[in-house]
Amino acid sequence: MNRHVLALLLRPGSGERSLIALPLIAFGVVTTLVLTVIGGAQSFWTWTDEMAPIYQALAAIALVLLVVPLLSLGGAAARLSARRRDERLSTLRLLGVSPAGVTAATVIESVLLAGVGAAAGVLTYLAASPLIALIPFRGEALGLAGVLLPPVQVSMVVLGVLLLAALSAVIGLRRVVISPLGVRMRSTVTTVHWIRAVIAVGVLAIAYALISVFPSVAGFVTTIVVLAGLFAAAIAVLNLLGPWILRVTATAQLRRAERPDRLLAARTVLNSPKAAWRQIGGIAMASFIAVFAGTGVSLMNVMGAAEAEAQLAADMRTGLIITLIGSFLMVAASVGVNQASDVLDQRELHRSLHHLGMPLDMVVRARRRAIMSPLLITAIGSAVCAGVLVFPLMGLALITAPESLLTIVAVVTAGIGIVWLTTRATRPLLARSFASV
Amino acid sequence: MNSHVIEAHALTKSFGPTRALAGVDLAIARGESVAIMGASGSGKTTLLHVLAGITTPDTGSVVFHPAQGSPIEVTALAEAGRSRLRRERFGFVFQQGLLIPELTAVENVALASMINGVRRKDAVQHAASWLAALGLAGMEDRRIGELSGGQAQRVAIARAQATGAELVFADEPTGALDSQTSAEVMDALLWSTTGQGRTLIVVTHDADVAARCSRTIAVRDGRIVSSAVAA
Repeated sequence: MNRHVLALLLRPGSGERSLIALPLIAFGVVTTLVLTVIGGAQSFWTWTDEMAPIYQALAAIALVLLVVPLLSLGGAAARLSARRRDERLSTLRLLGVSPAGVTAATVIESVLLAGVGAAAGVLTYLAASPLIALIPFRGEALGLAGVLLPPVQVSMVVLGVLLLAALSAVIGLRRVVISPLGVRMRSTVTTVHWIRAVIAVGVLAIAYALISVFPSVAGFVTTIVVLAGLFAAAIAVLNLLGPWILRVTATAQLRRAERPDRLLAARTVLNSPKAAWRQIGGIAMASFIAVFAGTGVSLMNVMGAAEAEAQLAADMRTGLIITLIGSFLMVAASVGVNQASDVLDQRELHRSLHHLGMPLDMVVRARRRAIMSPLLITAIGSAVCAGVLVFPLMGLALITAPESLLTIVAVVTAGIGIVWLTTRATRPLLARSFASV
Repeated sequence: MNSHVIEAHALTKSFGPTRALAGVDLAIARGESVAIMGASGSGKTTLLHVLAGITTPDTGSVVFHPAQGSPIEVTALAEAGRSRLRRERFGFVFQQGLLIPELTAVENVALASMINGVRRKDAVQHAASWLAALGLAGMEDRRIGELSGGQAQRVAIARAQATGAELVFADEPTGALDSQTSAEVMDALLWSTTGQGRTLIVVTHDADVAARCSRTIAVRDGRIVSSAVAA
């Protein structure tokens, strides 16, 4: 493919401004959150006293918990930018443009968008730093010097975002290159195999056994480090199990669907359980964190009589709240970007539905249901998963410190509320697309 | 019962400085198949949209005469009323089918009836019978992307008929098809509409499509310049 064709492919089409803005915003949010999280956590590594390792270990857990879903959101942003070109590229592929040409055009475009988004993300991070610096740990504010990252680390994060964009674009385009007609006609249905459930249950069982054993054989810090690994494994399990559960439940909902919006919602989830999971997986993480960490903080409050331990418990609560806020921001960004991009992708279809006389509210209900139903299932499911992992401790926390339960309920409610609000926020966009003649 | 299914009087419509309709009078008889032809920008699609209640004219009126019940002044209805009229009384076939890709063929057809309150089981049964009548038996559970262009267009025709629409509007229904498939789709469209005593209004660029209709109306600069009944 020559550079003239490449330039033609990269040129945005008319009315594509919103389609460019969405992945750009998503890449920006990812960059800001990654820099903020790493920036906030780095100050813990400047401490050298005997409590420092505990804080560092806890920060490591928070990083694992936040960075994994952040990467997932970054992947969603990259896929979004690639999908923007899916149909046009499929057509070009059908017309004979080589796979290498299609891939090169999309990767370059994704990286360019990611670059602009990441630059905006760095600026937002710098602007937000004075506020992050006010967060208190160990009785005093972190301070601006503590949360600002050196330029080398900032550059590495930006480079990581660009790499993620390039990699996701290549992976996302594989199906266009392999089956251009499938993408053009949207005939590709993603399937989720039952083996996911077997693997997930196996990993959960091993994780439960390890957690039961470790507290008695290892020191406190070692336990936390091991727990961080287990958290990451549990998140991986959730990601493995989530799409399969969504497929099973949506199949059952499809069988029972009597109303058009329920039929549409169930089919939307079944069309790509993985895509449905990617949108709401962040809430599963938040729910998981809420049960896990909420239990820990509650128990520490009860047991920690010494001043240092009381301080640690208070700081853990602060860390938990920050982690949860980060999770909610990711989910809100993910749902908002995906919903808006779907509306823009399906403008022609929505216009035709309006011509057919389909009420806007019916489409809105179907879209909301396609998000909220998997969300409720995963939020409750992941809370149960975490509950299984810390079962004895949670039982104790429920008796001695019921605020643990309140934290869980508050987190799940807030998460569901924020996603519901995000689906509301895209209604005007849908209404505009619906009413255009 | 009025012999006309739809009547339009003195329709005008402008989009900014562009005058799309410049005083259109039209009456279409029950059971007719009418082709509206004209160059791009002549106003033919705007005319179809105004007749169907998708767009409101700046001036003039459109009256729909259902087979049973009182005449309905389409242009006097609010958006909600026009939407209801479209989903309950009219059928639509678009150039690219514009079916819902997530749903199967039979679900796409059944959805139109389900929106009007028909039970899913009955709607699916009725939809399957329309698909079979249009030569798509055995393809009910295929997703739209798994159908050819002609098959998808026949699903769209079945959808337009599933609610028992008296009047079907088709906007370039064969525009994306080869000549043989185009002829097959027109066979299906005419059989399912005028063949059942219903009325068809088609906007088309294709003279072969127009030749299959009982009347051809030519539109130029927002006006009807000729109306020729087929021999």
